[in-house]
Amino acid sequence: MSRNVSFALTVGICMLLPFMVPQYSLTVLIEALIFGLFAMSLDLLVGYCRLYSFGHAAAYGLGAYSAALILTRLLLPLPIGIVLAVLVTTLVAIPIAWICTRSTGVSFAMLTLAFAQLGYAMLFRFRDITGGSDGIVGIPRPPGPLGMTWFQGKTGYYYLVLGCLIGSYLLCRAIVRSPFGAVLAGIRENEAKTIALGYNTRAYKIATVVLAHGFGALAGALYAAFAGFASPELFFWLVSGRVLIMVVVGGAGTLIGPILGGVFFVFLEHELSEITDLWPLIFGSVFMTFVMFAPQGIWGILTRRSNPGAELPGAGNETSDAAA
Amino acid sequence: MSLGFILAQCLGALSQAAVLFFIACGLTLIFGIMRIINFAHGAIFMLGAYVGFTIVAVTGSFLLSLLLAPIVVGGLGMAFERVFLRHLYGRRDGGAYLLLTFGLAVVLSEVIRVIWGAQPRASGIPDFLRGIVVIVEQPFPLYRLFLIAAGLAAALAVWQFLERTRAGLLIRAVSQNAEMVHALGTDVALVRTAVFGLGCAMAALGGVLAAPLVTAFLGMGTTVVIDAFVIVIIGGMGSFLGSLIGSVLVGFVQVLGAYYFQDLALAFMYFLMLIVLVIRPGGLLGRED
Repeated sequence: MSRNVSFALTVGICMLLPFMVPQYSLTVLIEALIFGLFAMSLDLLVGYCRLYSFGHAAAYGLGAYSAALILTRLLLPLPIGIVLAVLVTTLVAIPIAWICTRSTGVSFAMLTLAFAQLGYAMLFRFRDITGGSDGIVGIPRPPGPLGMTWFQGKTGYYYLVLGCLIGSYLLCRAIVRSPFGAVLAGIRENEAKTIALGYNTRAYKIATVVLAHGFGALAGALYAAFAGFASPELFFWLVSGRVLIMVVVGGAGTLIGPILGGVFFVFLEHELSEITDLWPLIFGSVFMTFVMFAPQGIWGILTRRSNPGAELPGAGNETSDAAA
Repeated sequence: MSLGFILAQCLGALSQAAVLFFIACGLTLIFGIMRIINFAHGAIFMLGAYVGFTIVAVTGSFLLSLLLAPIVVGGLGMAFERVFLRHLYGRRDGGAYLLLTFGLAVVLSEVIRVIWGAQPRASGIPDFLRGIVVIVEQPFPLYRLFLIAAGLAAALAVWQFLERTRAGLLIRAVSQNAEMVHALGTDVALVRTAVFGLGCAMAALGGVLAAPLVTAFLGMGTTVVIDAFVIVIIGGMGSFLGSLIGSVLVGFVQVLGAYYFQDLALAFMYFLMLIVLVIRPGGLLGRED
């Protein structure tokens, strides 16, 4: 019960934020929420299947570029453009997922990295479509359907992003609590046993990789339409690395942890990079400390302390794992 | 297209392969022993280049930097293994290594930026290796020939070390069955530390050798570590011979690809890797597991 109350309270505060913060902070806020969504999508792989993707930027970049192309070339209404971008990325992700799930562990990490880098390289190959190193600029936010224009302003766009984030979170939470999610937890804890129980774990993994790409693409598409441009950097492996840091520090396998990790990472990056140019050093060190001493992440620590029998499948198991 | 031109192209590819081999070889050795993919290997390569640069600047001797930089960086690598990596060995989740060394890569490249600054540093080719050799009427830089020789020498030395010495025997034994070696009374932890240090020293040596050609710049580590991963995956993780074959393949694909298909040069390497992985998921000479 208290969980639902605090959830409603958080959503309420987020709804009011545009009236409480100045306009320029709203920009950072929107980017933070988008990155939170992106980090949550990676958590489906890292936290629930223990598949460490080092190429999740591919989902972000694909989503951003498909949205950019759809919106600039076809001038479809923004919501439809974003939905189409997610669909396109999901389709592209199916063969990628099929190949990457042939292997696990380190090879999976490297394969995903290679696919992201391949995408990065392709941007320069098909320059006339993607704009090469310039990227695609001047992405519009076309109105409609039914004459909707509320998302064209910054405050409206904030609500669009917030709605997408909350909707995706509720969807992901339903997924990981469903029987499907239970099989994922089985894969994470003991894949051999799950296979012995008669589950085709490869199919589950493929489905999860595709799902993670879908949610990642939503984040990418939202970013492209907000920033008004898509550049090759979105595909670069540093993006994959950053989002992985957010997931681990926030708390893999908790969904909320990575969202918070993403949001705070963007804020701290914004604040600290103005004060000191050493912030990547600080983040790198903080990240290493978490990997060494607190693999359950911030949210894992918080939930374990407040309610010992945490019912989220991730939190408890991650900690028992670290102790082993 | 003349014979000399083809020859020069091949030699260029081989010299590229030689630099790549220094990184890939250490990476695969470390993986073979510890089942760790060292994400920081590129950053360590970069550190080697910068340390070498400083040694040349202080002492004026390129040969001394070839000797000292690997020792310094190898020592740092051993310290890292002792202080950090060691505590993760008991953890069932192998991803922790990947994450920790990724963190190290981020921290290390930042430390390098703080110490040496963001400007690219060129150490210049040492005087006695400057110059052009004419091969079948085609000019070719002497330094690149030196790189090929150095790569060959290193490959031979590591191979002989692994096959002929007692330490090499221990390393191969640990990579096959660490528990058994431990039960027979060998300090496996020490072997792991030594191999990690050796791998880092190899990468540093590669860094010193590559520095005069590419000028040490920030970000050199990230591009190079991905190349090295591709090589190790193509060759088969943990296979020494595989890393040699992979280096030559990738060296050729990079140099010829850059010459004939500028736009596709980057993509070719990944295509090569994907093809190998789809046919043989464990790499060319890797164990399937």
